[in-house]
Amino acid sequence: MSKTFDIQILFDHWDRFLEGFLHTIEASAIALIGSFTLGTIIAVMRISPLKPLNWLGTAYVEFIRNIPLLLVVFFFFLGLPSLGVPLDGFTSGTLGLMVYTASFIAESIRAGIQTVPTGQTEAARATGLTYLQTMTSIVLPQAVKIVLPSISNQFINLVKNSSILAVVAGLDLMYYADLINADTFLPLTVYTLVALFYLVLTLPLSMAVHAMERRFSSANRS
Amino acid sequence: MIEFRGVSKAYGSFEVLRDIHLRIEEGEVVVIIGPSGSGKSTLLRCINRLEAISSGELIVNETPLHGKKVDINRFRRDIGIVFQHFNLYPHKKVIDNITLAPVKVLGLSKQEAEERALSYLKRVGIADKAQQYPSQLSGGQQQRVAIARGLAMQPKIMLFDEPTSALDPEMIGEVLDVMRALAHEGMTMVIVTHEMGFAREAADRIVFMDNGQIVEEAAASAFFKEPREERARLFLSRLIKH
Repeated sequence: MSKTFDIQILFDHWDRFLEGFLHTIEASAIALIGSFTLGTIIAVMRISPLKPLNWLGTAYVEFIRNIPLLLVVFFFFLGLPSLGVPLDGFTSGTLGLMVYTASFIAESIRAGIQTVPTGQTEAARATGLTYLQTMTSIVLPQAVKIVLPSISNQFINLVKNSSILAVVAGLDLMYYADLINADTFLPLTVYTLVALFYLVLTLPLSMAVHAMERRFSSANRS
Repeated sequence: MIEFRGVSKAYGSFEVLRDIHLRIEEGEVVVIIGPSGSGKSTLLRCINRLEAISSGELIVNETPLHGKKVDINRFRRDIGIVFQHFNLYPHKKVIDNITLAPVKVLGLSKQEAEERALSYLKRVGIADKAQQYPSQLSGGQQQRVAIARGLAMQPKIMLFDEPTSALDPEMIGEVLDVMRALAHEGMTMVIVTHEMGFAREAADRIVFMDNGQIVEEAAASAFFKEPREERARLFLSRLIKH
């Protein structure tokens, strides 16, 4: 019987592990910034006094949040090409991840916005700031701080969910892991190593968030 | 400068303001008093349209607020408001609380706005707190920051909505002192307050409200000596009893 665990694999296939790891970081970083931006816009739409924006925001959240991530990714990978917009696996996977995560971020931020006292908006609007200026300078900074824990959990989920790229040949960590496994037939070793790579990303992220929370809470007492 | 002509406001079938007629001239200090729920704060908040009126006409700084086309953000530049609960921005330093609107709304440079903010902080006596966060200040200091924030827009009118009601008793004086000084400088002020001593000495005119209506309107000295209306007399006698 052959070995079931062989750490040598890490060194023999280091190039591919690294390639996949870097792509996972890249996809996660792009999707993280994108989903935060998109999520914030959707959240503001959802509480907007303008009915059509409101409706659009709600439709986005309820539709995207309630279908599988894989479907969203397939839309970009298989759906768009049939409409004449061909996208590679990495791009469609990253876009899908971004669009999907944004729906959760939007809900978090919307909840945060609603906890900011109306007096804050009144004070800002009363000095002549526009609705948008009030949002960006006064309401959103406070809202985001309040919901930082839930947003951070979404970001950690995002990093883990990035493994969906493997399904569309997105050149991520999981994609290369499958290739290495096919070559070595040592799944326990390969996927344990992959788990460690993911932890390298997610553990610091969750620690950074805890540190941020502590810092904000000291500046934000009122 | 401010003119209510038959203004009413209702939430559904509940009438908060009923047929209000009131004129306030430039430089006047008008104090609105009355029992809670009488519509004082609502009346005040109509002046900068934090509350919209339901019917009648309201003209402020030559702008008809009952009209359809009001550039509300431009209109509000000229009216400062101080709230009961201060409503300072907790995530911004004191100085940034004050410079925000002058920079974003008036287009002042950061440096101009900071100089201006510091000069108003000096006037309210807390220039040394510029770099602190609101949470590090006492209630009285926070309310003085809020006044400085209003003044930094160099408004034509200042509104005060129960500015001392949320303060510990020993801090009320420092806020009233700032308001008194402002009144002496000729600022047009409309104040909702329960501080009768302040009203008596600083106000030009008292407006007594009850049940969404103006019951009595009189010069401060006359009102406190001998209110004409029975309801006003009752209100004052209750205040003095305890």
